[in-house]
Amino acid sequence: MESKGSSCKGTWSLLLLLVSNMLLCKNVASVPVCLNGAVSCEKYIKDLFDHAVMQSHYYHVLSTEMFKEFDRRYTQGRELFTNTFNGCHTSSLPTPEDKEQAQQTHSEDLLNLIHSILLSWNDPLYHLVSEVRGLQEAPDAILSRAIEIEDQNRRLIEGMEKITSQVHPGAKENHIYSVWSGLPSLQMADEEARLSAFYNLLRCLRRDSHKIDNFLKLLKCRIAYNNNC
Amino acid sequence: MDLWQLLLTLALAGSSDAFSGSEAISPTLDSASQSLQSLNASLGTNSSGKPEFTKCRSPELETFSCHWTDKIQHGLESPGSIQLFYIRSLGANLKQLTSEIQTARKNTQDWTEEWKECPDYVSAGENSCYFNSSYTSIWVPYCIKLTNNGGTVEQKCFSVEEIVQPDPPISLNWTLLNISLTGIHADIQVRWEPPSSADVQKGWIVLEYELQYKQVNETQWKMMDPVMSTSVPVYSLRLDKEYEVRVRSRQRNSEKYGVFSEVLYVTLPQMSSFVCEEDLEFPWFLTTIFGIFGLTAILFVVIFSKQQRIKMLILPPVPVPKIKGIDPDLLKEGKLEEVNTILAIHDHYKPEFYNDDSWVEFIELDIDDLDEKTEGSDTDRLLNSDRQKSLNLLGAKDDDSGRTSCYEPDLLETDFNTSDIDDGTSEVAQPQRLKGEADLLCLDQKNQNKPSYPHASSVTHRPSVIRVEEDKPQPLLTGETESAPQVVPTQINNPSSLANIDFYAQVSDITPAGSVVLSPGQRNKAGTAQSSVHAEEVSLCQANFIADNAYFCESDAKKCIPSAPHTEVKSLTEPRFNQEDIYITTESLTTTAGRSGTVKHTPSSELPVPDYTSIHIVQSPQGLLLNATALPLSDKEFLSSCGYVSTDQLNKIMP
Repeated sequence: MESKGSSCKGTWSLLLLLVSNMLLCKNVASVPVCLNGAVSCEKYIKDLFDHAVMQSHYYHVLSTEMFKEFDRRYTQGRELFTNTFNGCHTSSLPTPEDKEQAQQTHSEDLLNLIHSILLSWNDPLYHLVSEVRGLQEAPDAILSRAIEIEDQNRRLIEGMEKITSQVHPGAKENHIYSVWSGLPSLQMADEEARLSAFYNLLRCLRRDSHKIDNFLKLLKCRIAYNNNC
Repeated sequence: MDLWQLLLTLALAGSSDAFSGSEAISPTLDSASQSLQSLNASLGTNSSGKPEFTKCRSPELETFSCHWTDKIQHGLESPGSIQLFYIRSLGANLKQLTSEIQTARKNTQDWTEEWKECPDYVSAGENSCYFNSSYTSIWVPYCIKLTNNGGTVEQKCFSVEEIVQPDPPISLNWTLLNISLTGIHADIQVRWEPPSSADVQKGWIVLEYELQYKQVNETQWKMMDPVMSTSVPVYSLRLDKEYEVRVRSRQRNSEKYGVFSEVLYVTLPQMSSFVCEEDLEFPWFLTTIFGIFGLTAILFVVIFSKQQRIKMLILPPVPVPKIKGIDPDLLKEGKLEEVNTILAIHDHYKPEFYNDDSWVEFIELDIDDLDEKTEGSDTDRLLNSDRQKSLNLLGAKDDDSGRTSCYEPDLLETDFNTSDIDDGTSEVAQPQRLKGEADLLCLDQKNQNKPSYPHASSVTHRPSVIRVEEDKPQPLLTGETESAPQVVPTQINNPSSLANIDFYAQVSDITPAGSVVLSPGQRNKAGTAQSSVHAEEVSLCQANFIADNAYFCESDAKKCIPSAPHTEVKSLTEPRFNQEDIYITTESLTTTAGRSGTVKHTPSSELPVPDYTSIHIVQSPQGLLLNATALPLSDKEFLSSCGYVSTDQLNKIMP
């Protein structure tokens, strides 16, 4: 199952690369979303993206603050934690890793990727809220933000689906997401291991929120502002 | 022991498979770094410093560079042998590709096989390593390590999106927005361009900016809130100052700012040559001017407000009735000397009359001298009557010198019309005759005696009561005129001289017409009710007497009274005259033409009539209000004598 999925993913990403290489273009030609340059359509698209960008920005701010609060309170930036990269469960998603790659990715794909990432975080965020309460002297700042992020994640998913329906009306629904299996690590008895698991999870969240924010801004400028933000 | 641990860890680190996962590497690396640090510490006893990373920075989220310090202990290590190695976890793409190759891959962060050396030691400067865009992957964890002759000095792990510090903005410029009306402050708009390296247009990186400004001579920068746009207004800059402006930028979601831009010097145009003083200085000039204005305004207000009061003080609003020539206060105070002087000024009155000695002097005057006297007598002027007639009348009838009684009934028979003292009409003729006789009679008696007449000072508050201590009945009429009570001693030796003799008559009231109402004096004990007649006669006589400065008894005065319509009065006249204590009061004397109505008839003689009434009020210049009930108790005393009360008696009487 997993291998099949991974093989599907692998072929898909290969295809993506081939297409991008074949085209030999750095930038994906901006396809006009609105037909005949309808003003109301463009305005609506702009509003959608502006709203989405605002949401993603807030999403990233929340995750950053939560990570910083946790680090300040529990790990204090120790190298034990900072130099440990356990990897994120969303790493398997073929997201572009630099600007060139991002620019070569189609908007539809990019939108789907964003959607997938958000879907992947549904489960972890749900468990994060419940597990943070079990932390020793859990501060309200972390807990409140965890709850807020969970809501924000849901809102972003809705936003993305709206944008997708607007930008790519005929696209089939995206159901790809990464499964998170880190729950046992959050419930470990060993305090340090547990803290490390939390630390890692929050760091991954921060990274993914930054990724989502960046992609959306890129798409906004590409689609709504025609590469001229 | 430490060295063996170090060697062991290094061997393990080197031999460990890069794909084994971060769990294996990280603790290995970590322990290796700790061991290295401890080794360095033990080995380098003098090494206070070691190369360490100062910062790793990505300006545009596309490349990054790392810098380190080169603090190598000289002599201990060979310089320039520092190397940087990096390792990065595999991206998803590569991971998938290599998944086929290495099945023993954990679904975690995968590292590259080995540490790779820095691709570019030069581009970023000395002691730096520059990773261009091909070597840079965003959202991918990196670890770098610094080695010195193979020995790891420091290791650091990070993700590129975490180390974003944009370049400073470029092309700063400012434009003038507006200048305040006072010409002191101005607003400017500062604009800049985002750093060229940052791809803001495509939205790959979103920046926010922070502007700082200060005056040239200041040390503290003023910060403004971060803004997303590339232009911002700066308000309220002083026109005469020069300012410095700088801007820095940061990735929107990050904390760290980039370096500051170049300083922009803002020199605002001088609008006017007038240099405003410092705000801290006290505006003395304006303060003095406004103070002067305020004080003058207050002064004017005070003056004008006080003016009314001053006016009121000087000029009382209520006009005070004033006797011509005499201050009413003097009369109230009772200063005789002053009154004398005033009277002397006005009516040629002889102040001597007010002296006791003057009485004596006056009495001793020869009748023959009466004519001379009467010419300039005050009574003459008072009565303003036909003195001559009266005098003649008086003188003609004065055959009674030596009579015991001052009162001649014959005189009373005559019908005299009371005349105004001032007018001196012909009506006075007849009563004047009577008055003259009576006066003469009394004068004779007077001459025999030297009565001490009371001082006329009592005139002020009381009628000009001049009493003689003598028992001789001597009618005393005190004529009180407008200006002052005229004390006219009557000295009549013969009727002819009556006219020249001053007499006293008590003025009870002064009518509005100007006539003097003389008090009729006390009734005859017999009860004759001819007081009115007496009054009339007396008034008439009084006129003469007054004109003649005659001093006459009531009886004589009664003679002057014409036949009054009241028979009672007539009947009373004789007995009254016969009595000593008959005094003609002003009440019984009237000098007005329409006298009948104005005559104040005294009641029956049984009731002692106060002969002398106190001056109640000195009203208008034309009148004196007399208090009719002034002397109720002193009647007996009055009755004791002929009608004259001595000064002593008077003093007893008067409170």
